[in-house]
Amino acid sequence: MDSDNPFPPPSSRRHRRAPKWADFTFLLLTGWGAVLVLALLVALFVGFYIGSQTAIHQLGFRFLTNTVWLAATDNPVLPGNVYGVEPVLVGTLLTSALALLLAIPLSMGAAIFLTQQAPLSIRGPVGQLIELLAAIPSVIYGFWGLIVLVPIMRANIEPALASGLYWTGWFSGTPTGLDVLTASVVLAVMVIPTITAISRDSMAAVPVSQKEAAISLGATDWEVTRNAVLPYARGGVFAGIILGLGRAMGETMAVTMVIGNPSYLTPYPTSLFSQYQTIASLLATRFAEYSSPLELSSLIEAGLVLLLITLAINVVARGVLSRFQRGRGVGRE
Amino acid sequence: MAPGPTESGKPPTDEIVHRRGGGHTGLYVVVAIVVVLAVILSGAYATGYLKFASKSTSSCSGPASSVVPANSGQPAPAAPSPAFHPESGQTVSGAGSTLVQPLMATWETAYTNNTLYYSGVGSTAGINDILGKTVDFGASDAPMNPTQRSLITTPGGIDTIPESAGAAVPIYNLPTVGQTLKFTGAVLAGIYLGDITNWNNSLLQVANPGVVLPNACIIVVHRSDGSGTTFVFTSFLSKENATWNQTRGFSTQPTVFPIGIGAKGNGAVTTTVKSTPYAIGYVDINYALSNGVAFGAVQNPKGNFILASLTNIASAINDSNVKFPAANGDWYNVSVLNAPGAQDYPMATLTYVLVYANLTAADVGTSPTYITHAVGEALVDVLKWMVNETEGQSYSAAAYYVPLPAWVVASDMATIGSIAKTIPP
Repeated sequence: MDSDNPFPPPSSRRHRRAPKWADFTFLLLTGWGAVLVLALLVALFVGFYIGSQTAIHQLGFRFLTNTVWLAATDNPVLPGNVYGVEPVLVGTLLTSALALLLAIPLSMGAAIFLTQQAPLSIRGPVGQLIELLAAIPSVIYGFWGLIVLVPIMRANIEPALASGLYWTGWFSGTPTGLDVLTASVVLAVMVIPTITAISRDSMAAVPVSQKEAAISLGATDWEVTRNAVLPYARGGVFAGIILGLGRAMGETMAVTMVIGNPSYLTPYPTSLFSQYQTIASLLATRFAEYSSPLELSSLIEAGLVLLLITLAINVVARGVLSRFQRGRGVGRE
Repeated sequence: MAPGPTESGKPPTDEIVHRRGGGHTGLYVVVAIVVVLAVILSGAYATGYLKFASKSTSSCSGPASSVVPANSGQPAPAAPSPAFHPESGQTVSGAGSTLVQPLMATWETAYTNNTLYYSGVGSTAGINDILGKTVDFGASDAPMNPTQRSLITTPGGIDTIPESAGAAVPIYNLPTVGQTLKFTGAVLAGIYLGDITNWNNSLLQVANPGVVLPNACIIVVHRSDGSGTTFVFTSFLSKENATWNQTRGFSTQPTVFPIGIGAKGNGAVTTTVKSTPYAIGYVDINYALSNGVAFGAVQNPKGNFILASLTNIASAINDSNVKFPAANGDWYNVSVLNAPGAQDYPMATLTYVLVYANLTAADVGTSPTYITHAVGEALVDVLKWMVNETEGQSYSAAAYYVPLPAWVVASDMATIGSIAKTIPP
């Protein structure tokens, strides 16, 4: 009987399925966003590739090996118009590597402290403060570097480093404060909040059971961190480091303000106190006053090189990340 | 419950072995990176690509200065911003030289017939802008060079009109020295070549008897952008020092300097030198005077050390007896450097406004029209106002610029008159 059935069939008049065009419209509305972003990415690469054609044809492979960037002039002594990306590539990689070298220990320490050691009451506020640092615009960091950090480096830190570590050969030259070292320090300061935030999140995601198991076996705090937390959080920490590296390599304003902007680049910086350029700072300083169409095209090609390197690092990072995560999956509780 | 090794002596299960084995990947990666770096670095040292530095490599081992002068670290004095004035008439836009930028800022406020708008982007950028017809007039301390002139496609070419004059002066920051220093051209060239690295070098001491020069490294500052001031300075160095002439030459581009910190614009050079103890730089005299930065006297061809002033710059321009070519001709060799008078300042320079000689011809092929009739009239009006002795030039002295001599004004007026005839209908 109908009255006994608690689930009467729906009447076809009142419960009609949505028309097919509604689903299709929804697909279109959401899909065009994805297509647009992909199209922008393709357009970016195509635009850079087209812009660098002049340089690719005229300089070819020498663009990667030339060790000078000389603007075209009517100066018969230095007619110039020779461009090579090798010095600025070295500058980019060196400043980023130094920045990571300075930032990783501090970030890891901060993340471990916040997730393992710190009293519960301060974990939240301190964590949020660190994440706030990541939101500060880079030009502010550059300005701070110029006004505050450069005089301190020039007057105190760099002379101390020079007198103590001159034998390494990396601290020669007059300390001016506007050099590779200061740029690396500024980059490290910018990159620390990024790495700390992501590491903190992935360490906080470690199951408590892992840590409890280690503690119950008599592990010290450090052994708990090393054996129970870090292996589990490896992937996240690595992702954070790659993100920080990407930020360091692309950073323009902050680096341009403190790296010295010399006009004549040696093939590699002879000392940490040398004035140098990165690809980003070269683009920032030369773009308005390129001296010839070849220089403009070379600048675009340098930008393309930076684009490709950043892309390659991200691809490699994803590969390593997926390997980490496969390994982590085995270590389940 | 997974059996452990202590329970029965059996080997650990696959699970634990696998996890233990997999836990060392990070270590291997780090070790691999360190090994690769070590191989690269040792290879580099072995082939001489990298070298250990001995402590006394640089003859310049000045003491670490923890004496921070009172004016270091201060932010740059704000560039004079044009006071607000209501939009009047047409807007005439110009861009280029930072040497003349403070004077242009004064003119922006003082000239009220129309609205003058100027941005100091450097002489080279100014030349690029007028070639690309993105501004109504360009401004440069360096005349257009033959390559730039070959890029002009408009019939009639571009006129070069001197609208002011100044001079490059060597500024320095020596906290312990109160006297004005004297520089010869050879000494300046040696400093900028990197041959003279310490302030107490004997060549500097000989030129400055009785002055106690500090034992400190010279920090060299130059322009990082394409600059007419660089053109003037390096032209002077080329005349004074054979090594500079043969190895560096003169140009607007900063690649002519082998060492030093680069700063963008006259203002940034001033700020950098002012905030960096033991630094040296070169800027136009108006930046040195209005920012209270010490600058040195320079030796002229007669052997006298001249401290730049508006008077001796003006006398240099008059004494140099320079002959102007046709307005749209090649001005590349027009120079007032090393004027012959006994009291003339050797690094004087004119600074030029660049305008298309035939405005109607310049409009051909541009869309929207490059110079309309109204803008053309305004442009001619502002140019006349700028060079007029009682109008634009009357603001020069207060802003530390040299007013144009009467014969330059006359020549300019003739040129502007010719341009006026080509205003599009």
